[in-house]
Amino acid sequence: MKKIFLSSIAASLLFAVSCQTDFDNSTEDVVVTSGEADFSKYVALGNSLTSGYRDGTLYSSGQNESYPLMLATQMKLAGGGEFKQPMMPNDVGGFNDLKDANGNILYPGKLTLQVSNGALGPVYSAPAAALDNVTSGGPYQNMGVPGAKSFHLVTPGYGSATNLSLGRANPYFVRFATSASTTVLADAMAQKPTFFSLWIGANDVLSYATSGGSGVDQKGNTNPATYGSNDISDPNVVAASIKGVLDGLKSVGTTKGAISNIPYVSSVPYFTTVPYNPLTPAALGANLTALNSGLYGPLKQALTAFGAGTRINLLSSTSANPLLIKDTSLTNLSAQLTAALTPSLGAATAAAFGQIYGQARQATSEDFILLPANTIIAKTNPNAPASINVYGVSFPLDNQYVLTKTESALVTAATDAYNTSITSLASAYGLALVDSKSKMIELNSASGIQWDGVKYTAKFVTGGAFSLDGVHPTGRGYAIIANEFLKAINMKYKSNLPMISPNSYSGVKFP
Amino acid sequence: MKRILMTAALAAGVMAYAGGFRVSLQGVKQLAMAHTSAHAEDASVAFFNPAGISFIPNKVSVVAGGFGVSNQITFQNTSTLKQTETDNPLGTPLYFAAAYKIVDKLSVGLSITTPFGSTIEWPSGWEGAEMVEKLELKSFFFQPMVSVKLAPWASFGASYIYARGKVDWTKRVTQLGGSLNLLDDEATGHGFGFGFYFQPDSKWDVSVAYRSPVDMKAENGKATFNVSSALYPNIGLAATGGVDTFKATLPLVDEITLGATYKVTPKWLVSADFNYHGWERYNKLTLDFANAPVGNQADPTILVAPKNFKNAKTFRVGTQYMVTDMIAARAGWYYDESPYSDENFIPETPSFDNYVITAGVGLKFNKLGVDISGAYAMPESRKVNNAYNSFYGQAKAKVFYFGLGLSYNAF
Repeated sequence: MKKIFLSSIAASLLFAVSCQTDFDNSTEDVVVTSGEADFSKYVALGNSLTSGYRDGTLYSSGQNESYPLMLATQMKLAGGGEFKQPMMPNDVGGFNDLKDANGNILYPGKLTLQVSNGALGPVYSAPAAALDNVTSGGPYQNMGVPGAKSFHLVTPGYGSATNLSLGRANPYFVRFATSASTTVLADAMAQKPTFFSLWIGANDVLSYATSGGSGVDQKGNTNPATYGSNDISDPNVVAASIKGVLDGLKSVGTTKGAISNIPYVSSVPYFTTVPYNPLTPAALGANLTALNSGLYGPLKQALTAFGAGTRINLLSSTSANPLLIKDTSLTNLSAQLTAALTPSLGAATAAAFGQIYGQARQATSEDFILLPANTIIAKTNPNAPASINVYGVSFPLDNQYVLTKTESALVTAATDAYNTSITSLASAYGLALVDSKSKMIELNSASGIQWDGVKYTAKFVTGGAFSLDGVHPTGRGYAIIANEFLKAINMKYKSNLPMISPNSYSGVKFP
Repeated sequence: MKRILMTAALAAGVMAYAGGFRVSLQGVKQLAMAHTSAHAEDASVAFFNPAGISFIPNKVSVVAGGFGVSNQITFQNTSTLKQTETDNPLGTPLYFAAAYKIVDKLSVGLSITTPFGSTIEWPSGWEGAEMVEKLELKSFFFQPMVSVKLAPWASFGASYIYARGKVDWTKRVTQLGGSLNLLDDEATGHGFGFGFYFQPDSKWDVSVAYRSPVDMKAENGKATFNVSSALYPNIGLAATGGVDTFKATLPLVDEITLGATYKVTPKWLVSADFNYHGWERYNKLTLDFANAPVGNQADPTILVAPKNFKNAKTFRVGTQYMVTDMIAARAGWYYDESPYSDENFIPETPSFDNYVITAGVGLKFNKLGVDISGAYAMPESRKVNNAYNSFYGQAKAKVFYFGLGLSYNAF
């Protein structure tokens, strides 16, 4: 009897043993390898995105969450070496000794959320220190230079202190350049990296876009020395600069790395936060009728007479109305408007109207109203006549607040051209290609990107992925980017660097 | 006595491995035999089947017991290679039951148990923190019952269930840079149970029982948002300092139990059970906040999270051998099905297909019985494929139960 009893226990034990209680493959036993790559000296090249810039500046805790540092940390699991960054001397950022001709601060400290009038909004801090020099602590493996365009990486003198006042150098490179005449590329080559990442080209369109198209599209002009700071770089210049970097690295034996394409500006909150039509009938209230009879009606009538009646429509009392903007691509009808309005308004007032509305039109869904417009829409312009001084309502938003349809088409065309070159260079040089562009589009979709229950979107502040400047990611956003680099590197070089969890980095800080 | 027991019951937090948050630990003697139901020697049968109390050989029977549940869950994320282990406290489910035979045909009884519960504690800020950092679910069932003998070999019994419960859930709110605590210790619910018990001859015991679902309703839960006070206006809680109220209903699901015991020899018996748990009732969890617009429905204060539990089965086989008149040796084996698929794995109530071996010893000192039992669970490691939360990886668990029970049968 006991025998039967015992053997039945034995039988059930056997049954039990057949079930798998442990992990079939414990992550603790996974050996992280570099595959065909060698991560012992990884150097990151790029612009602000590479440096860890966020909240409108570069500051130490932001640098500690730069995507290259995230990559280097994972690479350390597979033979990666030391990864030094040119740390800012404080956690606020900015340079208090660099000012423009009018004495205005050029490099402010970080944006922080502050409560004013019961609402949360980003406010710049005062810069915390003068421009320092950290060259002696180098060489640095994170060589991201905020503000750098593609050709800046191969421009001698970009790190020269004396060139700063001439506008030909960048203080962020001056901080750690090994000499006044060196280039970012030369300093990188001197380190003989075994692996590199390169993400450059965004600023070649971005400064044009964030300035509301204040520059010139330099397509066809292949001499970047002649470019203004807000111009769009010629795609051949961008391609040649990137190729120059790749060739330079190749010449010192650095042939393995990752290169990223450029996101569209239309996927970042700086361009997508402010709606083109925030003027609801409720917001306009009683002013709606007055605006139609006193301004929009007469203006439309006058413009119609010059064949430009489509620029302005009467304000609707049932649906949201578009903002009034200035579009510099429109024929300037100032003189005609002044002449037409003089009989009814008198010469002086008519001249003011003509000047203000000569290139005015209502925004459409294809125009991007820029983030800074948020702070001035519906505020009064002290320099405008009292009856027509409300920004976006009776006074057109200036060019710098709007990237019009025409301007954004130039930006998109340039971005596409750069990305075509980046893709073909990645393939020609056998590099891992990181598709940041698609990731940003995904982030900008309604469903966003979810990680362990946390959903990230490209919405300003609440989306969690973008910092307070509306262009640069938060630590969590950078981690999403870092994962794209890791995936591309693993795929190209057969390494198995582990992914990182975006949730464990910092997001927007609340006061 | 009652108060002490209730307090103790409320203090009993348990992680349940299989079967969602159902904790099948309501009899030490039963656990030793795989927690099978057709055992009418004493009042511990009351929870399993109210009809069973009619077949207790004595006029009065009182039982009490408790368990220790030691458990640990490990989650591994195969893409970050990170492993996280829970730091769960020792669970201590308790039970008490009493039965009294008023006349031969009519018996009354009372059962106090903690049949549902779960305490899980993940490290602060772990990968799944947005879903749960700590969750404590507690319940106690207070079941008065009556049983009548329909014939010398058959009885029918029914019980009323009054349930009280507590939920204490802390999770991160990553996007707001803080955490949320949901607390309610006044949730109540009602239900019933009934069953038939048969002893057709001296060799067979047959038990058929049903216990209804109990919907635990939290009417005035407290939701505390531990976030920056600058955000209070944005979550509609400026006036209350980040504190809101919520309503929620947590279903404690119904259970059908079919059990039989056969005495192979006067000294040796074997038992088998089949349970069917109505987990389908827990297909979603709805949190209705008073003010905070943190939901995902047309009404922004209502948050609905899919749970998609499925009905689950348990198979149990147990045996007892009387070594002497005083000493019983017991053993058992059971298989308990997880109520959800890999796609619906949730870290707040981790659940596994569970194989368990049990054993125990019973000692009889005249009217007093002392039972000890232990169980070793072998939960099957599983994949985690939760697309709703983008939560992916693998999970495994380690579980061990031990119990000590006392019974007193008189007259």
